[in-house]
Amino acid sequence: MKHVPMTQRKDKPVPVRPPSKDRKAEEAFDLWLQRGLHKLFDDVAGEPIPAELLRIIEEDREK
Amino acid sequence: MSETLAFHDQVIAILPKLRVQALALTRNRAAAEDLVQDAVCNALSAQDSFIPGTNFAAWMHRILRNRFISNLRKRRDTTDIDDVPSSVFATDAAHEDRLALKELGQAMTRLPADQREALVMVVVHGMSYEALAQATGCAVGTAKSRVFRARRQLESWLLGERSERQTPRPQLRAERLLDEQSALHS
Repeated sequence: MKHVPMTQRKDKPVPVRPPSKDRKAEEAFDLWLQRGLHKLFDDVAGEPIPAELLRIIEEDREK
Repeated sequence: MSETLAFHDQVIAILPKLRVQALALTRNRAAAEDLVQDAVCNALSAQDSFIPGTNFAAWMHRILRNRFISNLRKRRDTTDIDDVPSSVFATDAAHEDRLALKELGQAMTRLPADQREALVMVVVHGMSYEALAQATGCAVGTAKSRVFRARRQLESWLLGERSERQTPRPQLRAERLLDEQSALHS
C-alpha cells in the first residue's frame, strides 16, 4: 500500500494549529485583559451604595 | 438570586452588578450613578410586571440597558476618555502597569457600547453567554459575537499599534504575567 502523508489524506482533516508562540501570545493577552478589566471595574462594584439610592428603595418598600 | 428574596432585597443585592454594567455603558462615573438610579426607579415603577421566580437579574439588566438607550436618544452622549478609576493610580502598581491599564481603559471607551457591555459582563461578572443574551435581550450567537469582536478589537488596538516602544506595553505585561503563572505551576 502506498504511503500517503497525513497532509494529503482525504479521510481526516489535518488540524491546523497556530504556532505555539501565537497561542502563548493569545493566552497572555487574555490573562492580561481579564486582570485589567477586573482592576478597572471591581472597585466600582465594591463601593458603598449611595444613601440616596437606598432611601429610594426603602421608601418604596414601605408603601 | 433566591426566588424567596423580597423584590426590594433583590434590587439591593444586584446594585453592584448594575453599577458595573452602567459604567461599561456610559464610560463616566457620574453618568453611571445617574443611570443606575434611573433604572432602579423604572424597576420600582414596573415591579408589578415582574413575575416572581423568573430571571430577576435579566429583567433588571434589561431595564438598565433600555434606560441607557432611551437617554442616548434624548441627549448627545458625553465621553470622558480619561475616566479611569482613580484607585488605579493609588495602587502600588508599577508605573508601566498603570500606563498599560490606562491604555486599556482608553481602548475600552472606543469600543461600541454593546461590545463593551458584553465584554465586561462576561469577564468581570463571569456571566455565561446564555445569561448575557437574556440580560441584553439578544440571541446567544449575538452575545458571543459581541464578546469575540470586543476582544479582537482590543487586541488589535493594544498589540497592533506601533509606538516608539519596540514591544507594546500591554504585550510586555501580558507575557510577564503568563511567565509568572507558569513559574507558579512548575
